[in-house]
Amino acid sequence: MSQTGYIIIAISIVVILVALFTISFVAYVKTPAPAGCEAGKGPNCENCEIASCRFYASAEERAAKKRQEETMAGKE
Amino acid sequence: MEYVISFILAIISYMVIDNVILARYFGICSFIGVGNKIKSSIGMGLAVFFVTMMAALVCWPLYNFILVPAGMEYMETIVFILVIASLVQMVGFFIKKKSMSLYKTLGIYLPLITTNCAVLGVAESNMAFDFGRSMANALGTSLGFVLVIFIFACIRVKLEGSNLPKAFKGVPIALIVAGLMAIVFMGLGGMINLGTWGLI
Amino acid sequence: MDQKPSKLKVFLDPLCKANPLFVMILGTCPALAVTTSLESAIGMGLLFTFVVFCSNLIISLLRKVIPEEVRTPCYIVVIATFVTVVKLLSSTFLPELYSSLGVFVSLLVVNCIVLGRAEAFASQNTVVDSMLDGLGNGLGYTWAIAAIALVREVLGTGTLTFGKVFTFIPKFTLPILSGYSGSDFSMAIPLFKSSAGGFLVLGIALAIIAAVNNEKERKAKEKARAEKAAAAAAAKGGNN
Repeated sequence: MSQTGYIIIAISIVVILVALFTISFVAYVKTPAPAGCEAGKGPNCENCEIASCRFYASAEERAAKKRQEETMAGKE
Repeated sequence: MEYVISFILAIISYMVIDNVILARYFGICSFIGVGNKIKSSIGMGLAVFFVTMMAALVCWPLYNFILVPAGMEYMETIVFILVIASLVQMVGFFIKKKSMSLYKTLGIYLPLITTNCAVLGVAESNMAFDFGRSMANALGTSLGFVLVIFIFACIRVKLEGSNLPKAFKGVPIALIVAGLMAIVFMGLGGMINLGTWGLI
Repeated sequence: MDQKPSKLKVFLDPLCKANPLFVMILGTCPALAVTTSLESAIGMGLLFTFVVFCSNLIISLLRKVIPEEVRTPCYIVVIATFVTVVKLLSSTFLPELYSSLGVFVSLLVVNCIVLGRAEAFASQNTVVDSMLDGLGNGLGYTWAIAAIALVREVLGTGTLTFGKVFTFIPKFTLPILSGYSGSDFSMAIPLFKSSAGGFLVLGIALAIIAAVNNEKERKAKEKARAEKAAAAAAAKGGNN
């Protein structure tokens, strides 16, 4: 096959995969989670510190929260 | 018979000797982040197990039957990450729709697994192997991940009540515990010599 | 609303105050895997800098075009493209570096820092700010993993070797704990070359940083308390 053919195959593979990913991503996000286990609220989220999670607060926010808790405790 | 034995030995070797977290450094972010809940560590481990197996099953034929004949090996990274990400989203979609209990145990961890190095790392390292060896790699690696993350959560439960120096609280002591675990697992190093089974 | 941080702050913050590895504790996988030698750590850091700089640049250019619902897929595609570019470039021009990093060049795709910067910064800020942020994060990560690699290589092998990965500089070895000519003297601890040593070094480094931060906080608190007491005393004196 010619060089152009390979380039067309490569581009079409990427386009197909991106379309597949986008469709499944949108389908996943649009589907409501079963009651009681929404992400960010579940019982498992309290102790989890996986920073790559979209629902995980950034380090600055966590530090601010911690400081707030400390000042609250200090007032008491 | 010999093939079966070497398959099982390869699984054990990838699981404990060449452990995914402690010797190959994949998936440390989720390993440290999952914290001290034994239940959530099992959920995370199962989700990684499931996605790793599926990704290995899909990526190996995709690479060997489509990308290699077309001479497009350079596209492996972009193809694999897209395949893994779409697989994760599709499975998450079905679990979300069909089964609430399954979603509770492992569904919430699924979106995190797109960015887990273990899944992509296994898929990438499988490219040098034949199909049987790549399946052994995927199975052993994911079982090793479940094993180590479970042991680690148990240790961290005990660490909660211990009197640590303030500076070591949280991630530093977790890393040091992981280092000690790595020394323990290093001791298993001479158990299986893959060379004698023609696996290297 | 809160005011925009200055350009200098955007660039300098990730270098020390918000260092991606030492403060945010992100990107630990490559930080442990490639730090057995100083040179490959620096090489990894530079490749990482390139990827995060370019992906930040492209994503901030496209930030008004990308629809909100499908942003994660778009970011992953952009990042994967640049990782492929880096892979091809490094395997052509620096094959020794490429083979010493192995699969971890491809694993830049799933690096938490790259995706995190795209989501948290580049999708909301101007192009120049995003470029500076990418450069700052890349260089901050580079010096962090270079520091870990320095400790691990010196303690693990007793020497510092240059020219093995970057073949364009002449090869030479600095004897530090061992390797002096004509003697078998060596104080190297091979444990630090293995994975366990990596975990221990990173854990102790994070503990030292936490200790310094705790000390700073304590001093700031004491200072505030002393000021408060002085102000109260002055007020009392004024009343009398």
